[in-house]
Amino acid sequence: MRKDVVSIKGVADGIYLNVEGNDLELIKSELESKMKTASNFFRGSRFLGVRGEELSEENRTEIMLLLKYRYDFEVQIERVPEEIASVDYEPIKEIVVSESEVVQEGMTRFVHGTLRSGQEVSYNGNIVVIGDVNPGALLKAKGNIVVLGSLRGVAQAGVGGNRYAVVAAYSLLPTQLRIADYIVRPPEDDIQYKYPEIARVVDGAVVIEPYLPNK
Amino acid sequence: MAKEKMGTAIVITSGKGGVGKTTTSANIGTGLARMGYSVVVLDADIGLRNLDVVMGLENRIVYDIVDVVEKNCKLKQALIKDKRHEKLYLLPAAQTKDKTAVSPEQMIELVNELKKSHDYIIIDSPAGIEQGFQYSIAGADRGIIVTTPEISAVRDADRVIGILEANELHDPELIINRIRPDMVKRGDMMNIDDIIDILAIDLIGIVPDDESIVISTNKGEPVVMDEKALAGKAYRNIVRRITGEEVELLNLEENDESKFSKVLKLIFGK
Repeated sequence: MRKDVVSIKGVADGIYLNVEGNDLELIKSELESKMKTASNFFRGSRFLGVRGEELSEENRTEIMLLLKYRYDFEVQIERVPEEIASVDYEPIKEIVVSESEVVQEGMTRFVHGTLRSGQEVSYNGNIVVIGDVNPGALLKAKGNIVVLGSLRGVAQAGVGGNRYAVVAAYSLLPTQLRIADYIVRPPEDDIQYKYPEIARVVDGAVVIEPYLPNK
Repeated sequence: MAKEKMGTAIVITSGKGGVGKTTTSANIGTGLARMGYSVVVLDADIGLRNLDVVMGLENRIVYDIVDVVEKNCKLKQALIKDKRHEKLYLLPAAQTKDKTAVSPEQMIELVNELKKSHDYIIIDSPAGIEQGFQYSIAGADRGIIVTTPEISAVRDADRVIGILEANELHDPELIINRIRPDMVKRGDMMNIDDIIDILAIDLIGIVPDDESIVISTNKGEPVVMDEKALAGKAYRNIVRRITGEEVELLNLEENDESKFSKVLKLIFGK
């Protein structure tokens, strides 16, 4: 198997960048293509360092700067401790779970306050907004979306194709709702309900219903 | 597409904000589509998009102009078909990005692509003369300046006409928006001749200050579809002039409709 020039490894408290060789141009271009496809996936992760046996110190710094300023990672630019470069850690084992289980638990981002037009939160897990989501704001979650307020913007749950993802809000009035590959918009003469609602995919259609039927 | 068209791209701009660029774009686009032309209205106000709301198409947006220039989707996927008009499409702006997301070169390429399959491309430019304005005018063949009868709006319009000419976009045409005949009559508002005197470009239409505009904007139905509203008639005339027809300017003062409503007011005291 050909080894990738650039690979990203996740550990419990963040991610490492592994680099093969010392060809800066090649590394840069590989990093660019990797980030294009996967930058959202790693967004928000803590960046722990660049590792590479053949990598020169200048090139390492160059890559760190690139990650910080081009790809917007949280990077502390300082000398990487030697032990990180030498210790070979055990990669965490991938736990296989079914799709329906994925949306039962997992990483969650909490957003405090109101999301206004033009603001976007995208997360590789669930999103909980403690506040409102106004028209023009965008939520994108790989898992569920819960809004403890009015959801008036666009919500996309189950990014990547998870049809078990749900969207729930105290007041569910989205401009548009997307779950996995389903896209729906409210009917033209929409009636405003005064109770909390949940949207989920049932038998190939997005169904919206109250989740507290007795209220 | 059997035969390639060669459409015309018209940028709607003003310099000043809030004079009615977006309303004008929606109405001209809709009006042209009603006459049977195939039209794309393009919202170039990235980060502060409104054209989708005014046209009542906000909830259909999946892809936008930034997705198109970044090649995340095909141009066809981003074009939103209007609810009421077969040949009218909207290319929405992105809301979560800013004006740096599109370059003038990308805009030229995009507009040229659209021109191949549509008769008119109406570009709704953002306010100001910065980056967003620069890429908005980049692909345009014609310019329409929107102004209101206020000295500040006219100053900005004058500045923009100068910039358009510097960018080889000659002979822009003028729309004077939000005229109030009663105020002009009293001498409290600049009249049309004063404005033409300063700007010295061809007038393509005047639009009265009409509350039906506010109503139609909030409903997401351009006023040009409203057969009764005076502003709707004004826009229908503008659209006919754009296509080369000779149409008399609206006479705002002697309006039968307003006379009639005055009589009604007298009778019913409301």
